[in-house]
Amino acid sequence: MNTRTCCKRGLLFIVLLVMGAGSVCARIMPDQSTWFVDMKRFSQAAHTGLSCEACHGTMKEDGRLHPDPERPDFLQSAAKRVYDYARCKKCHAKAYERYLAGEHATAMEKTPQDAIKTYAPTCGDCHSSHYDPAHLSRVEIGKRMTEVCGVCHVAQKESYLENYHGKAAVNLGYDKAAYCTDCHGAHTCKSLKNDKTVALNVCHRCHPKASEDFTEFVIHYDEKGIAEKDDEKNRYVSRIHLVSALSLIFVILMLCAFYSHTFLLMLRKIHEKLRRHDGE
Amino acid sequence: MESNRYENQICVRFCVLHRLLHIGVMITFTLLAVTGFALKFSTETWAQGLISFMGGVPGAGWLHRVSAAMFYLIVMAHLVWLGYYKLVLKGHLTGPHSLFPQIKDFQDLCQNFRYIFGKGEPPLFNRFSYLEKVDYWAVLLGMQSMGITGLLMGYPEFFSTLFPGYVINIANDLHFHEAVLAVGYIAVVHMSATHLIPEVFPLEKSIFTGKTTKAKIMKDHPGEWNSLYADEK
Repeated sequence: MNTRTCCKRGLLFIVLLVMGAGSVCARIMPDQSTWFVDMKRFSQAAHTGLSCEACHGTMKEDGRLHPDPERPDFLQSAAKRVYDYARCKKCHAKAYERYLAGEHATAMEKTPQDAIKTYAPTCGDCHSSHYDPAHLSRVEIGKRMTEVCGVCHVAQKESYLENYHGKAAVNLGYDKAAYCTDCHGAHTCKSLKNDKTVALNVCHRCHPKASEDFTEFVIHYDEKGIAEKDDEKNRYVSRIHLVSALSLIFVILMLCAFYSHTFLLMLRKIHEKLRRHDGE
Repeated sequence: MESNRYENQICVRFCVLHRLLHIGVMITFTLLAVTGFALKFSTETWAQGLISFMGGVPGAGWLHRVSAAMFYLIVMAHLVWLGYYKLVLKGHLTGPHSLFPQIKDFQDLCQNFRYIFGKGEPPLFNRFSYLEKVDYWAVLLGMQSMGITGLLMGYPEFFSTLFPGYVINIANDLHFHEAVLAVGYIAVVHMSATHLIPEVFPLEKSIFTGKTTKAKIMKDHPGEWNSLYADEK
């Protein structure tokens, strides 16, 4: 191998390496990230009537420059995570109150120093303050909500969409079927696994005749989404999967048997027909 | 000449009730399959189009339930007819000419495989071949399982008082698997073995007209001849 081909191959290797690294970076970076607000999109969003100062103040309240390269966390923290969301309370008092009473805020309090790592969400993680539109229909909100909640609750989103509720509400746009918050509460985002009476109250909103056993119906029956210590639910899910697997095996065996029989019979009949045709 | 006329003699294979029930099953089964699979595959555009054409989720749901009720009425009508056939017409529900499984069906199956691999003549079926019996029992039994799992899903508030709630999940899976089996069977096995085989392609008309010829009976169900004219002998 001469030096030239060697160089060529080396160059190719480096190019591939850079491309690979580039694609990895592209995946890590949020796709719509920009340091500046896209005013065109902002002009169509719910908050478009507000001035920057209404939410951000002058950015010089602490007597320092903004941006201030001297600050220890300069360029180290995501604005979305460090913003003081108490300011949202000014207009969205009810939503803020519910958020504080809810599970996401509890998760934030439990691990305040790890909050950024564990990613207990605050307002800005689910809502885009600059770009989210206003006056959406219930179905539009529901469809967006399923995507937003599904960013973290992947298994729950999947099992919800496999369930009748998700199919009717999200896929088919039926506004009387339940979206995430119809069961888990808007902004409170409560888990329903610990208390059957709480869960039953939720079911009663659409199924007024439901009894407590009704809550044993498993909506999120993806094993990945169920806590290991939740023995009862794990037992239910393993029973569901067992019966389901048996019936699937039965169906596949039956279809294989009858399909091969039909295929062979048709071959024979067509073969005979053609042979008779030749003979004539 | 005489024998030729005899060969083309028209015989009645299915009575009016059975022809009507078959048409009823055809229509309701298709509606059930279309509405059911449109819900199951509701992420697809065709499914969303179909559902909105049928009046959205409430419309399609109504159609599915009404079709299911009609289907079950047809099954009931057939069961009532079986009682009438046994008690009034003094027919045999389990004889060789009935749809009841016989040892001969297994022998026919073996003979049919010999025929398929060119090692023998086609089996001489009685009034119903084993495949036709499977068609019949698949509907009659499959309908019960579809009906039960469907009711469980349709009235979960009531049934969760009798069974644990996760039984509704199981019913959901069974309903889907059974639907795949039923549609997979009817669309391929029933369609090809009954309607698409070269002798009758493109359609076996006797289930719609009720009529068939002696030549055809002697070929497809030689054993039927005796049953048809048993009274006249």
